[in-house]
Amino acid sequence: MSILRGRARKVEASIFTASMADIVFLLIVFFVLTYNVQVDRTQVNLPKTWVRKTVPKDAAYISITKDGVIRVSSGKEMSLPVGSDEEVVTFASNVVAETPNKSFVIKADKDTKYEHVDKVLDALKQAKARVIYLLSEQKTQDDTKQ
Amino acid sequence: MKLQKKRIESEIFTGSMADISFLLIIYFMVTSVFSATRGLDFALPKQSTSTPEIKQEDSIDIHVMQGDQIKVDGKPMTMDQILPYIAEKLKQNPDKPVILRTDPDATYNNMIQVFDLLRQAPDKIGMEIKTISIPTQREIQNVWALFGVK
Repeated sequence: MSILRGRARKVEASIFTASMADIVFLLIVFFVLTYNVQVDRTQVNLPKTWVRKTVPKDAAYISITKDGVIRVSSGKEMSLPVGSDEEVVTFASNVVAETPNKSFVIKADKDTKYEHVDKVLDALKQAKARVIYLLSEQKTQDDTKQ
Repeated sequence: MKLQKKRIESEIFTGSMADISFLLIIYFMVTSVFSATRGLDFALPKQSTSTPEIKQEDSIDIHVMQGDQIKVDGKPMTMDQILPYIAEKLKQNPDKPVILRTDPDATYNNMIQVFDLLRQAPDKIGMEIKTISIPTQREIQNVWALFGVK
């Protein structure tokens, strides 16, 4: 009888949170390892290509928007707009003088006129740059069907 | 009377650890951007006195014009016709260089699609194009000036 009349045992509801810190630390480690400082945040529509090579991490960036606005960054600081083609030559020459084997990345909008890209390429040739990367996105089978 | 020593338990307070970690996660998530880090590469020739001059008649001339129009050695072609044409030429001379000229009025996309196609040559025609030259407008004008054309 005493068992039947006995008070119901209270079950405390709790969520086990001890491993939360571990999970969070793992996530932090992931973000720290994959984090890379983006020196150029210019919004451009990159062209799509099949062939793509990985760009070196310390490369210098030259971005060209659809309207032909050029921004440059040596890879260490944030990109800054340049006013004339001569400034691109000066910038590239300075970068090459500091690190002769520096790679240059051209991040140009796919709809920009080729004359803007041509000027930048000419500046890089004048500055005696060695390797140039033309930044692109991965082309897929769907893109060719369009 | 014996006095009982009060035991002080030493511990590090870890209750706020999760909060700090979450703050850090949010910071990294917000500041990290998925950036494109791949692209087409090409090496420029080393500036030296012995740089061989590429003559137009010894090379394949691809002219990219406004509105997806392409001329190869003066003949209008579509994208699919370019690589078979180049394959024929490369069979005769595997070192034949390709000159990729683009009109200033054409878009960057027009040029990069042809350049991408040329870089796919080893997969599509089984032959590598050893030299792809991308002359700039200034260089083209300099060549014309040599021939006395303004």
